[in-house]
Amino acid sequence: MATVRESKSVAPAQTRHRTAGLTAYRARRFVQRAGTYLILIALALVTIFPLLWMLSTSVKEPQDVFSGSLLPATFNVSTYQQVWVTMDFVAHFANSAFVTALTVAIIVAVATVAGYAFARFSFPGRDVIFYIFLASMIIPGQVILIPMFIFLKQIGLLNSLVGLSGSYLGGGLPFAIFLLRAFFKTLPNELADAAKIDGCSELGVFLRIFLPLARPGLATVTIFQFVGTWNEFLFATTFISSPELKTLQSALYLVVGRYSTDWTLLSAALTMAIAPVVLVYLLLQRQFVKGLTAGAIKG
Amino acid sequence: MAVTAQGWRQRRAGRRRIPWLPYAFVLPAVLIFATLMAIPMMGAIFLSFESWDGLRPARWVGLANYVDLLQDPIFLQALEHTAYFVVVTVVLQTVIPLLVASLLNSGIRGSVVFRTIYFMPVVISLAITGLLWSMIYEPNFGVLNTTLNNLGLHGLTRFWLSDNVTVMPSIITISVWQSMGFYVVIFFAGLQNIPQELYESAALDGANAWQRLIRVTVPLLAPVTTVVVVLNTIGGIQVFDQVYVLTNGGPNHASETLGTYLYTVAFGAMASSVSELGYAAAIGVVILLLALILSVIQIRWGRAREIEY
Repeated sequence: MATVRESKSVAPAQTRHRTAGLTAYRARRFVQRAGTYLILIALALVTIFPLLWMLSTSVKEPQDVFSGSLLPATFNVSTYQQVWVTMDFVAHFANSAFVTALTVAIIVAVATVAGYAFARFSFPGRDVIFYIFLASMIIPGQVILIPMFIFLKQIGLLNSLVGLSGSYLGGGLPFAIFLLRAFFKTLPNELADAAKIDGCSELGVFLRIFLPLARPGLATVTIFQFVGTWNEFLFATTFISSPELKTLQSALYLVVGRYSTDWTLLSAALTMAIAPVVLVYLLLQRQFVKGLTAGAIKG
Repeated sequence: MAVTAQGWRQRRAGRRRIPWLPYAFVLPAVLIFATLMAIPMMGAIFLSFESWDGLRPARWVGLANYVDLLQDPIFLQALEHTAYFVVVTVVLQTVIPLLVASLLNSGIRGSVVFRTIYFMPVVISLAITGLLWSMIYEPNFGVLNTTLNNLGLHGLTRFWLSDNVTVMPSIITISVWQSMGFYVVIFFAGLQNIPQELYESAALDGANAWQRLIRVTVPLLAPVTTVVVVLNTIGGIQVFDQVYVLTNGGPNHASETLGTYLYTVAFGAMASSVSELGYAAAIGVVILLLALILSVIQIRWGRAREIEY
């Protein structure tokens, strides 16, 4: 009896001790977690605040802009209309879209076949050519700014959207080739062997077997190149001088001077320029993040 | 058809046939690269040894452009500001994203949501970001000074972009704001590759969170960190868009970088001088050399620090 009673009296004490330890541990863990969330949420607010503030300013009445409140008292969309018309938004959007589409199409097409050849064939000179491409990825665009300007002028493609698109190719190709080569290398060789036994030519193997399988790789390269070209500023500003041919980014810079006293207009213009990319990003988040960080993560 | 054609070609060329398909596949890329990258780059190097205003015939001047650069106070200032930008952004844009990625990887919920938000500024163009922040930094009505005034911190308000002490830090802040999400995602991917057992055994050995970060995470992330540092460095050396949009190198060259100075010399309106393309090309070559040398050193150094687990 005594022993039983003894053991009974000991047990609750132990449990109490253990719960105390556990509670302390839980409390510390809770504080840690809360701190973590607090920091992460604060950073999220800092990240998103400038964008929200821009959005809010764009729909305020001009006299309310400097009121300092984040929430707009009114919802004035006429600024968007005004920007749409005065800045000739559609034309600049179309310029950007044209240059981007042309650049992405050429780079993806050329890099796909080249990346495939580097990944799947062994031929004299392969490694030398590939390493030249690889090394050139370090070259800053500013280095070729002046020679490119002279070259485009000589061939009559200065101040032309086709010329601008061309100026992006040399810088964009190497990275696209690098990514697609890495992608094709992940596809099993047995696929090609099987197809060849069935009588498929090398070209057929590429077109019918590997190209359809390469879709994720093509998506990655497309997104990377799309964002890079759409957002490019230096070449677009330097090589295009006619106001009506300006891409969205450099056209915006031009109108800033005109709008600088009217922040509702400026905010609306910026929102309109940012919206397409951010919307596509939110729709295709995973591919976007993958596309933009590709190379950095794998390499 | 294709099979027989290839078979025929194979028979005709015998055993040492040279494969044509790989070359056909690589040729367009090589041609484009040669015309639009290799030749322009050699042109830039060549031009940097010439004096040319773009109109009259160019004149070979040897190393004169480079010698002039070393004595050009504006260039030296631009070099200094660029170095400052590179050093500060490399540190901030490595340390902050690493810490944030570690927090995201500590088993919290909603890490996807946070990453989605953090990454948002990454997809926006640098020029537009610059314009957006010009409203934030605006001294009279900008959010920054307004907020400081509302908090009663009148003494902290500044003419952020026209004060030569605050202009570079202001531009650097924009860069950190915009690129944090990019590097967070890269570090996060790297962290996910570190086996969880390593943290568990470190915890068993009594390591606290900070020690686990310094002793486990940082060494194992060395390859990822190298990538981040190299990308940061190459990006920093080229810094142009935001600076051009915000200050165009001003006030009085206080935010002049190699990129803005190159642009101003080549195309900008430098009131007293004509455009000097050879001189600008020499600045471009300096940018190239810095990018090359620094990234090679960083990659070598990173390799030496890589460890296996």
